[in-house]
Amino acid sequence: MRLTTHQLSLNAGTRTLIDALDLALEPGEVLGILGANGAGKSTLLTVLAGLARPAQGQVLLDGQPVADLPPLTRAQHIGLLPQGDEGGFFGSVADFVALGHFPFDGSPDLAPHLATWELTDLADRPLATLSGGERQRARLAQLAVQQPRIALLDEPLTHLDPAHQARLLAWARSEADAGRCVVLTLHDPNWAACHCDRLLFLYGDGRWRLGTPAELLTPASLEALYGPGTASLWRQSERSQPV
Amino acid sequence: MAGALPADRELAQQILAELRAPRVAAAFACGGLLALAGVLMQTLFRNPLAEPYLLGVSGGAGLLALLGMAAGLAWPWISLLAFAGSLLALGLAAALGGRMLARDHTPLLLAGVMLAAGFGALIALVLSVAPAERLPGMLFFLMGDLAWTGNAPLLLAALGLAVAAALSLSRRLDVLQLSPLKAASLGVAVAPTRWTLFGLAGACTALVVAQAGSIGFVGLMVPHALRKLGFNGHRVLLPAAALAGGSLLVLADALARTVIEPRELPVGVLTALLGVPMMLWLLRRP
Repeated sequence: MRLTTHQLSLNAGTRTLIDALDLALEPGEVLGILGANGAGKSTLLTVLAGLARPAQGQVLLDGQPVADLPPLTRAQHIGLLPQGDEGGFFGSVADFVALGHFPFDGSPDLAPHLATWELTDLADRPLATLSGGERQRARLAQLAVQQPRIALLDEPLTHLDPAHQARLLAWARSEADAGRCVVLTLHDPNWAACHCDRLLFLYGDGRWRLGTPAELLTPASLEALYGPGTASLWRQSERSQPV
Repeated sequence: MAGALPADRELAQQILAELRAPRVAAAFACGGLLALAGVLMQTLFRNPLAEPYLLGVSGGAGLLALLGMAAGLAWPWISLLAFAGSLLALGLAAALGGRMLARDHTPLLLAGVMLAAGFGALIALVLSVAPAERLPGMLFFLMGDLAWTGNAPLLLAALGLAVAAALSLSRRLDVLQLSPLKAASLGVAVAPTRWTLFGLAGACTALVVAQAGSIGFVGLMVPHALRKLGFNGHRVLLPAAALAGGSLLVLADALARTVIEPRELPVGVLTALLGVPMMLWLLRRP
């Protein structure tokens, strides 16, 4: 299952965010998207998921325009983790995680996913009583229940402690090893260097760059991406080889 | 009634069959429809404070019904006017605020709340200039009153249909509690489902308001209380709300008819008097 974009352009009002992006997501890869606030990272994920129309160009899933797929079919292949907004959910953690199974028939086996994200003991608690990090784990577990071939995650590291960041990495790598594709937005170049196969830089003015961490990550390139004074974000260049 | 004459017993049976039973049935159906509409509105707006009258339905119904009463029209016309007023309010809310419903429900909410405020002011205006002898009838309508409700079979059938329709949406309603973007990513067609919810909740409410005025509190409290008691999935919440809302209104109406016999109180007063302490007690539970 391949997700590709063809000459994809995104706007915010009259401003061009991304111009003529050609991207082919390979099964088995973890792609990291980096860019300043407002550069179009979340918008790009929404368009890749087929939930918003681009200004120009197309997103294709195995050659078919993704925005034209029936909603359920699309949800059986593409999963999206938007940034958190669970204000309207009144049920338990287990109820919440189980919603990831909505595109499919039958009832889901939640136990392994609850265990992976260390939610087993929290399963019966109302979601609203969880801490920010626990809630983020519940959202990741919900996405894992959906088991999308292409998982699009918007700042999944938010609120996670280092141990659970490592767990997210292990999950993303195991998804990729199973032939699925994980796309995530993030702000930490060191994390990106260690754990992503390819990176996409979004400059927020139409320009973009696609390449391996070794190709893209240098102090100078980070200053070009984030602005002056940000080169110190990138201190350990020897880490640029995946561990 | 040990020594009752056959004629008395016949009369008693006649009262039971022709007056009491239809009124109890109508009360049950109205309460069920209001509680069901409350669940749907709370899911549509992702907010536990949403309730059936949020978008000005009771205001629109009240305004036209009161204008009818001020003009001296009789009951079936008042009922039709109230129904038309409900639809007018819903139509205005949808036209003014419904454009973004796939992504954001706030414009619809704001349009509805503004309409409700506007209708409220117009109702106050009608009340202040209406002939004094018509005021009690107007007030009873505004507070909700089952005394005129003549169409129990219609209401019961509507309740059955509405529960069935809502149940057929129950899995989608569970997902709609998430953000619109997340719900869409899971395969729910957000805008059509939200419009269906809006229409179903609006139809339930309009029907009740046309038959019994604006009975308050049932649609807000019953869904909230049931959630507090652990009914969360819509597959159980929807039928539970219909049952609990119906039962609450039957109880409230029985009290409204009897506490200061032979006079009747508007049933809306009783739903609040019963509901407020119940809700406060539930809120104190851990």
